Amino acid sequence: MTPASLRGWRLVHRWTSLICSVNLLILCVTGLILVFHHEIQHLMGEELDTSYQEGQARLPLDTLVDIAHKSDPAKEPKFISFDPEDPAASYIYLSPPGASDFEGGSWVVLNAFTGSNQVLKPPTETVTGFLLKLHVDLFTGFAGQMFVGVMGLLFVVSTVSGLVVYGPFMKKLAFGLLRFGRGTRIANIDLHNLFGVTTLVWAFVVGLTGAILSFSPLIIGYWQQTEMAAMIGRHHGEALTGPTVAVDRVAEAGLVAFPGKDLAFIAFPGNSYASERHFSVGVRGHTELTQRILSVALVDAGTGTLAEKAETPWYITMLLLSGPFHFGDYGGLPLQIIWAIFTIITGVVTVTGFVVWLKRPRARTAPAATFSERKA
Amino acid sequence: MSGIWRVPAALAVLSTVGLAAAILGDGAWDWICWIALSVPLAVCAVKLWRQRPSPRS
Repeated sequence: MTPASLRGWRLVHRWTSLICSVNLLILCVTGLILVFHHEIQHLMGEELDTSYQEGQARLPLDTLVDIAHKSDPAKEPKFISFDPEDPAASYIYLSPPGASDFEGGSWVVLNAFTGSNQVLKPPTETVTGFLLKLHVDLFTGFAGQMFVGVMGLLFVVSTVSGLVVYGPFMKKLAFGLLRFGRGTRIANIDLHNLFGVTTLVWAFVVGLTGAILSFSPLIIGYWQQTEMAAMIGRHHGEALTGPTVAVDRVAEAGLVAFPGKDLAFIAFPGNSYASERHFSVGVRGHTELTQRILSVALVDAGTGTLAEKAETPWYITMLLLSGPFHFGDYGGLPLQIIWAIFTIITGVVTVTGFVVWLKRPRARTAPAATFSERKA
Repeated sequence: MSGIWRVPAALAVLSTVGLAAAILGDGAWDWICWIALSVPLAVCAVKLWRQRPSPRS
């Protein structure tokens, strides 16, 4: 590498890191706690009652939708979502008539076996809900979420540029050498290099998937406006005036279209995931991997017949698979603990990197030129 | 590959294998994931412990 390009990479590493450092620390602290959100919800008594008898039958979907609707008759059911890990948890979204997005409505959570209504506190009133909001958008909505996404991309560039400048720096140093007692700057440089390079792949993956998740409104919006719109456009799209068919029939039509799959969601006509006259039924597989990948069937709301079915495009699959690789929730409690330790180390890399910058030599002619300056 | 990259490259491979393993299945796949991802963490811990600043300095 030429000295000029190395200088360029150094600048890239310095500035991408500095710009995202404050946000990155917030993400590390909140993320560290959010890794254990299930355990925390359990401790706080905020988890759902999803108990049922062995062999007990699930209630029909129409019954669940009715129970949800009666709890808030002014709103209409628009969406049902199913938990792949918990057959008893059904989430039903109610929103004012005419609303197609997920603003201004509320989620009702029902036990699918007993029909018991689980009143959920608004997310911002729970510990994990508060931390999640801080983590995702700094309490500033869509704009904040895009900001955090850009910070995530800067972090990804920072990991890559960090790797590039690591090589020349370590030319005459043994891997993992820690020189405590040679001053604050050198001690921090060594810690930064060791921790940074050992956790690099994890940090890159978690940073990149986090950025992808941040941009999810844009990615989903693009899918709705292109492939979904095209799918819906191939069928007569005028709104249905008569009654719609039973939700259970819709679910059945979706499951028949994809044999062997499980329900993931049902979007009602008028919702942004469906059309004015179609339900859409999302299905998923069973394995650790395929339960995270969705396929969608469009079902006519008047006749209950399948209009069209499709796999989701690659970028939706990429978005869906970003979830586990960001949350670390796909390998049990040991993986959560591993995730937490990596998060702490990433926080240390951020702080030591910042200290190295704070303690930078002010003038290149200073007699106490540090090691890194002499290397350059 | 020069000596600079030997250990980081090995840790990168282990990290990649570990991250991928648990999504492919349960049981043995989970164990591969836990063990592989623990190695970079253990390397950090061992390096830190062996070179910890002595109380005198």
